[in-house]
Amino acid sequence: MVEEQQEEIKTKNNGEEYLRVENLVTRFFTSKGIVKALDGVTLAVKKGEIFGLVGESGCGKSVTATSIMDLIPDPPGRIISGSIYIDNYNILNDLPKLARINVKSETDVRVKRNKRLIKRHNFVISKIRGRKIAMIFQEPSLALNPVISIGKQISENILLHNRVEIANSIIRRESLTQEDVRNFYNEIRDTKGDFRPLVNKWTRQYAVPVAEDEIVNILKSGADSALTLKELTEVIMGKKRGNELTHITTMRDYYKREEELFELTLKLVEAESKNEVNNAAVLEQQIEYLSYSLKKDFSSFIWKRRLLGKRFEVVFEEEARRRGIELLTLVNIAEPGRVYDAYPHELSGGMQQRAMIAMAIASNPMMLIADEPTTALDVTTQAQILDLIRDLNKVTGTSVLFITHDLAVIAEMCERLGVMYAGNLVEEGPASELFNNPLHPYTTGLLSSIPRADVKSRNEIKLESIPGSVPNLISPPTGCRFHPRCKFKMDICAEKKPALVEVQKNHKVACFLYSKEVVN
Amino acid sequence: MVDTTVMQAKQLPVKKRHPKLEDYSHTFRLLLKNKLALVGMIITTFYFIIAFLDLVFPRYLGVTNASNLLSFSIPTAVTPIGPSFSHGLPGLLGYTEFYSHQYPLLTISLAAIKFDIGYSLFIVLIGAGIGTVIGAIAGFKGGYIDEILMRITDVFFSIPFLILALAFIFLLGRYIIMAVYALLIVWWPTYARLARGQALYIKSMKYVEAATASGASTVRNVFSHVLPNVLSPVFVQISLDLGSIMQLFAVLFYLGVISDPYFPELGNIISLGQNWLGAGLWWPVIIPGIFILLFTVSINLLGDGLRDVLDPKLRR
Amino acid sequence: MELRYFIIRRLLLLIPTLLGLVLLVFFLLRMFPDTYLVARFVNPKSPVPISVQYANAKAALGLNYPIFIQYFFYLKALFTGQWGTMSTSIYTGSVLKGIELYFPATIQLALFATILSIVIAIPLGTYIGARPNSVADQTGRVFSLAFYAMPVFLLGLLLQLLFGQNVIAGNPLGVLPIAGKFSFNAVGAIPPPWFDPSTGLTGPTHLPLFDALIHGDWKLAYSSFIYLILPVVTLTLSLLAAILRFIRAGMVDASNQEYVKTARSKGVPESLVIKRHVRKNALIPTVTVLGLLFAGLLGGVVVVETVFNYYGMGILALNAVINVAIYGVLGTTFVFGVTLMAANLIVDIAYAFIDPRIRY
Ligand SMILES: Nc1ncnc2c1ncn2[C@@H]1O[C@H](COP(=O)(O)OP(=O)(O)OP(=O)(O)O)[C@@H](O)[C@H]1O
Ligand code: SF4
Ligand SMILES: [Mg+2]
Repeated sequence: MVEEQQEEIKTKNNGEEYLRVENLVTRFFTSKGIVKALDGVTLAVKKGEIFGLVGESGCGKSVTATSIMDLIPDPPGRIISGSIYIDNYNILNDLPKLARINVKSETDVRVKRNKRLIKRHNFVISKIRGRKIAMIFQEPSLALNPVISIGKQISENILLHNRVEIANSIIRRESLTQEDVRNFYNEIRDTKGDFRPLVNKWTRQYAVPVAEDEIVNILKSGADSALTLKELTEVIMGKKRGNELTHITTMRDYYKREEELFELTLKLVEAESKNEVNNAAVLEQQIEYLSYSLKKDFSSFIWKRRLLGKRFEVVFEEEARRRGIELLTLVNIAEPGRVYDAYPHELSGGMQQRAMIAMAIASNPMMLIADEPTTALDVTTQAQILDLIRDLNKVTGTSVLFITHDLAVIAEMCERLGVMYAGNLVEEGPASELFNNPLHPYTTGLLSSIPRADVKSRNEIKLESIPGSVPNLISPPTGCRFHPRCKFKMDICAEKKPALVEVQKNHKVACFLYSKEVVN
Repeated sequence: MVDTTVMQAKQLPVKKRHPKLEDYSHTFRLLLKNKLALVGMIITTFYFIIAFLDLVFPRYLGVTNASNLLSFSIPTAVTPIGPSFSHGLPGLLGYTEFYSHQYPLLTISLAAIKFDIGYSLFIVLIGAGIGTVIGAIAGFKGGYIDEILMRITDVFFSIPFLILALAFIFLLGRYIIMAVYALLIVWWPTYARLARGQALYIKSMKYVEAATASGASTVRNVFSHVLPNVLSPVFVQISLDLGSIMQLFAVLFYLGVISDPYFPELGNIISLGQNWLGAGLWWPVIIPGIFILLFTVSINLLGDGLRDVLDPKLRR
Repeated sequence: MELRYFIIRRLLLLIPTLLGLVLLVFFLLRMFPDTYLVARFVNPKSPVPISVQYANAKAALGLNYPIFIQYFFYLKALFTGQWGTMSTSIYTGSVLKGIELYFPATIQLALFATILSIVIAIPLGTYIGARPNSVADQTGRVFSLAFYAMPVFLLGLLLQLLFGQNVIAGNPLGVLPIAGKFSFNAVGAIPPPWFDPSTGLTGPTHLPLFDALIHGDWKLAYSSFIYLILPVVTLTLSLLAAILRFIRAGMVDASNQEYVKTARSKGVPESLVIKRHVRKNALIPTVTVLGLLFAGLLGGVVVVETVFNYYGMGILALNAVINVAIYGVLGTTFVFGVTLMAANLIVDIAYAFIDPRIRY
């Protein structure tokens, strides 16, 4: 599995962007006033890279992450404008149509939501979350549901996004013949060295439940090939459950059509955003027809599920369990089988965070957002979790948006770096470049405040070299939001907002010190 | 429900720290922002004003300061007259009739408010006082005192409050004041548990540990550290309980447990007038009922508002 | 399997509470002067001198022993079914028999109300709690506050006024009977052997609805059912209001938790987020107070029995108090206590079932 995926990564990873955020504006309409939390954030994360995001507390790092996941709590918050491209699809395509915001005054804002479109938007975004992009949080003990077992929480993700594939493998398994097993055996005999990856792949393909070790043992012990084959056939054929094939096929077809509905809806949203009226009308009709037929089948489907009870789902859960345990092993959890059935409160913080990571990557998202994933953990565990994230990034090629306070961690982990200040990205570039040659006055101040390695600063970066503190975002400073604290403040800084421009190769900064406007 | 509020007490121990006394002016301002709580506060205040006026200037309300309904009566056994404008102020809300006497509902309800509020307040305040001190000391001392207290409250909570109140009234005698004592006995464990939970939490805090280490006595600690911190949750509980106690008090009268048929009390007035319900006359029941309901709803609104404002989790 | 240990431990904990309950009842008993307790054994017409009779009775009742020995005597009497006798306006005879006759009606009302409230409150609370401040939520809050704050007897009387048969002339809604357990017209001219016309009670369960069903008397069953509606609705509304308030608060609280965000970040659809992740957590605070709510409900049953003349143990207890029947008061108090303890046991097991954190 590993080598194959690494190869894939190499072909994919050619500097293409996986996530691109443009001019993102997010606000919170509170009783005290409008919090202008994000004021046009622009950033991009390339495939396979770890991108660090730093800044003082309250500068909007978490809001950026939550906005990318489209998880801003509404009310009080809303994304106002901007675009977020995930794998080249703009999840904010239909943003302007979702709600009309009527600002009467700072404290009196009326939001009129279009419920139908929001429902459609949520449908689309729920299919993107988990499969294309996932997130892990600061406090694993709060982020895991206390009343659901770890395994159920992981398998939930697997079953949500991979059920068609799982159904297919189950169907494949049920129609396995002795011939297939013989071919498999032959294939194994032909492989040199470790045959585990092959077994792994094969059991996944045929959804043979919890059989890897069994199979491996048989293969290892088997001196006599005829006997081994016989044993192997027995074990594998013994995993067949028989007679549920028709139901599983029904389920598969149902899920397949649901996926189709998703694809069509995606297309529709895109067509609408490009104003392709005719295309949209056709798609709308197709969607209507499909969702009608789905709704019709759903009731009979649900009834069948009720009548047949758990038996139906057990086959899916078995496979989800197999994969869940595999994931727990991947995140270096000892005794994955026990942990799978445990509840969050039975695990230590580090284990919880590992389980959280396993849950996040369960459906192979190519992008992981980690919002201070180690702040709540003790120092040794921190290092382990960081290693884990780095390994995952290497092995699976998942891009990581890594948010932290800890500049030392950034230096260790990240290839590129973005610096945020009061809702803006003020500087972006390769980590080494930024550390050696910081351009923005804020970055300069930030770097001179790197804590000594032995005193880990937890929640606040002390900015001795920068006077003042992060402004109140209800009434932020005009122009460059940094100007009240900036040593190099010019007249223009209070009037205009500097744009993020590339001033050196791959090095962008938003400051008039480096912009031609001032020079002119 | 008769019961209402012991439930807040059960969620022990209270984890977050409640705001201190100094913050109460800020709390009050927050409370004024909460519209429903404001409505509750206004109506509740209005009731208290009525009770106060009745106590001090009974004549202004057309109420004589009598604890006997007979003093309001007109001895005629006819069908009571409904609410109307044509019978002067006392007849505004109609009349009720029992034992061959007519009673103006407005007047007797106003007279009853004083007793209802007075007794409820008495029960809640004394119960809260006793319970809080006992609970705070037990929680702070810990050990077997605490254990005994918890077992006692367990037993009290294992009998439905109304039944327990009935049993104690039976023991003490079926008089109003005995009913008050019975309700006191039923109600103090709520506060004991609440205060105990809070005391356990306070005890674990650094500055109290320091005070204990430097030799401060238990009593001193309880009075200087625990009680001030218990105050705000107890205050919320009191405001919520006032409605429940008033309900329970009315229920005791309604059930006829207290053998004083002429006592001006809203539950009593309802029970005496309820025979007219069979004849399709609504006001002998509904009018005093509205007086109870309005009070219990508004005190609950106020209590809910207070809880939201004083809750450290929600406070901003 | 951990759950099993939890249940065993919880069952063991019942013992001290039960002993405590008996102690409380015993305390009530011993607060009465000895003269009062022995009065019924003293016959003034007997040739034996009063003082001797008095002493004999005292000795026979074990009142000469130290108080803690008496406690064990009392325990023994309780567990061997010697609960004394009572004489009230509605029932005269052995206390145990009286409780056997009237308790079923009480528990029936309480159970129906509990089941109905829970069945309605969970989906309704989930619905409104998932949409805080919507129209449905506002309406739900107003109604639940009103029913919560309303004394049960007032609610009962109000329902009688609105839906009671022959209460308001020409009221199209007035179709439900307001007093009693069934219509005597439904019994027929020759009462069946399982019906005792002198007490108005049926056998063997003493619940007319079930007895009629057991004996296949549809007419009586229908009548009993109709007579049950208003009392049960009264209790249900008041309990429902309280439960709804808790579920709603729990839903709002749980929806703001971090794990809900996690669920959404995995791509769980909104409806499943509510059903799977929010609801179960929202029920936890509600379950913890269910025991207390049930205590309130039992008080409510006493009131409802009185309002609707639905003879049950509440009325029996009330009559015992009013007619100064001490053993009646003690017996009913004890049974009410045991009922509540049983309810608390069930609640705690349900709690352990929902929340894995408490059963380690
Ligand atoms: N739900 C909310 N309601 C109102 N304001 C909010 C909300 N969430 C965030 N904000 C505001 O948005 C701004 C950015 O907050 P954010 O949590 O993104 O900071 P952060 O950079 O993640 O800080 P930290 O390092 O402390 O996590 C803050 O000023 C905060 O007050
Ligand atoms: S734009 Fe002006 S105020 Fe802002 S950082 Fe640059 S120099 Fe300072
Ligand atoms: Mg943050």
